[in-house]
Amino acid sequence: MITRARALAVLGSSALLTACGGGARVRIGSKNFTESIVIAEIYAQALERAGIAVERRFNLGSTQIAMAAIERGDIDCYPEYTGTALLDVLHLPPQRDPQAIYRAVAAAYASRYRLVWLQPSPMNDSQGLVTTKAVAAAQHLATLSDAAKAAPRLRLATIQEFLVRADGLPGLQKAYGGFHFASVRTYDIALKYRALLQGNADVASAFTTDGAIESDELVVLRDDRHFWPAYNVAPVVRASTLAARPAMRAALDAIAPAITDRAAQRMNAAVESGKMDPSDVAAAFLAEVR
Amino acid sequence: MWSALSTAALGHLGLAGAALLAAAALGVPLGAAAATLPALRPAVLATAGIGRTLPSVAVLMLLLPLLGVGASPAIVALTLLAIPPLVINVDLAIRGVPPAVLDAADGMGMTRAQRFVRVVVPLAFPLAFAGLRVAATETIASATLATFVGAGGLGDLIVRGLQTNDTAALYAGAGSVAALALGADLALGGIGRLLEART
Repeated sequence: MITRARALAVLGSSALLTACGGGARVRIGSKNFTESIVIAEIYAQALERAGIAVERRFNLGSTQIAMAAIERGDIDCYPEYTGTALLDVLHLPPQRDPQAIYRAVAAAYASRYRLVWLQPSPMNDSQGLVTTKAVAAAQHLATLSDAAKAAPRLRLATIQEFLVRADGLPGLQKAYGGFHFASVRTYDIALKYRALLQGNADVASAFTTDGAIESDELVVLRDDRHFWPAYNVAPVVRASTLAARPAMRAALDAIAPAITDRAAQRMNAAVESGKMDPSDVAAAFLAEVR
Repeated sequence: MWSALSTAALGHLGLAGAALLAAAALGVPLGAAAATLPALRPAVLATAGIGRTLPSVAVLMLLLPLLGVGASPAIVALTLLAIPPLVINVDLAIRGVPPAVLDAADGMGMTRAQRFVRVVVPLAFPLAFAGLRVAATETIASATLATFVGAGGLGDLIVRGLQTNDTAALYAGAGSVAALALGADLALGGIGRLLEART
C-alpha cells in the first residue's frame, strides 16, 4: 500500500515537473513535533497529487517561529491549530464554540496578516493533564478540579512552554484555583511520559492526540470547567500564494475531513514508536482517503 | 526572573560540580595508570579519545533505559564527558617529568612512593590541573542538556526562550552558562596558581 501511494506521489510530482518545467514551488512548513510534521507531510503529498510542486521546510520550532516564517514569506503554508492561534498568537479571550473560534481566527488572520485559514479538520489536539491509573486511584483523581486540590501532593512533569503560556499552567491556576504542585520538572516533549510511567512524576501535561496517551496505563483528567478551547488543525496559507495557485484550496479541503482525532493518534503513535517515517505515514493515510 | 535564574544557575552548578568531582575521582587514577603502566596506555588513551568525540546528547539518551530520567543520567553523561581531558592531561603530565630528575631522586635514595609524592606530583601538577580546567568548562557548557531529562539547570531557560520566543530568557540562560564557564575557568586558574606556589 505504502509503495503504491509513494509511487503515485512520485508520478504526480514528476508529471508536474514536465508539465510546468519547475515553476515556483509551494513551501510547506511545520513546527517541531511529530503531529505537525505528519500533517505538513499530508498537506505536501496532497498538493503533489494535485500536481502542485512543493518544497518541505519542516521542523521550524515553536508557533512564534513558524508564524514569523510565514509572515516573512519564508514559507507559504503550514498546519496551525485554531486554539493556539486564538490564545497564543492573537491573544484573544478564550471561547468555547469551536466554530466561533475558527471564524474569529480566520477573520483576524485575513485582516492582520493576509493569511487564509482553509477548511479545518475535525481533529482537536487539545491539551490535558494525564496521570497513571495507579495515581488516579490512590489520589482519587478524575477531573481537573480534583487535581487542582490534590496538587500540593503531586509532582508535575511538563515542558517549559506549559509553564508560561496563557493556555498552560498560569491559565489553569486562574480557571480552577489551586494547582500549586509539590514540584514541577520540565523535560523534552517526548520524555515527560517516561517520567510519569517510571514514577518520577504523578501528573504530566499532554496533547490529547499524543500517541503515548493511547496507552492502557494512562488516564486523561476531565476538563470539568472547560478551560481548554478547541484546537482544530487547518492549513494556514499566504493569501498571495493561494491567489497564484487556486487549486491548493480544493486539494487541501478534500483531505481535511479525514484528519480525525483517531487518525492523528494512530499516525503519531506509528511515527513515535519508530516504526514509520512521517512521509510513509502520510502516504498510507492518503492512500486510505482516496 | 531573578529567582528562576538563580535556581537554574545553582542547579546547573550542582550538576556540573558533581560530575566534575566524579570525573576527577575516576580520571586522575586512570591517567596515572596510563602513564605508569605502558601496557595499559594505548587502550586507556584510545577509549578517552573516543569518549571525547561522542555527542553528549546521544550519551544522555542512551543512558535513559538504564538510569531513568532526572539528575542521575545527566550527572553520569557529564562525568563521561569530563573524564577524557583529565586522563589525557594527567598521562601527559606524568610522562613529561624528565628522566634525569627521576634518576636524581633515585640517587638521593628516595623510595618509589616518596619519589612520586615529592617529585612527580609537583612537576606534573600544572599540566594535570589544566586538564581539570578544560573538563570544568566543557562540563558547565554541556550541563545545558540536562533540561531534556528533567534535571533542570540553565538549559531550562534556554528551552523556554526557544519554545516561547522569549529572547530575554534565552539570553539570560545562554549568558549565564558562558559566565559560569568563564568564571569557573578563572577561579580554577587562581586555585591552580595558589596550589603550585605551595608545592
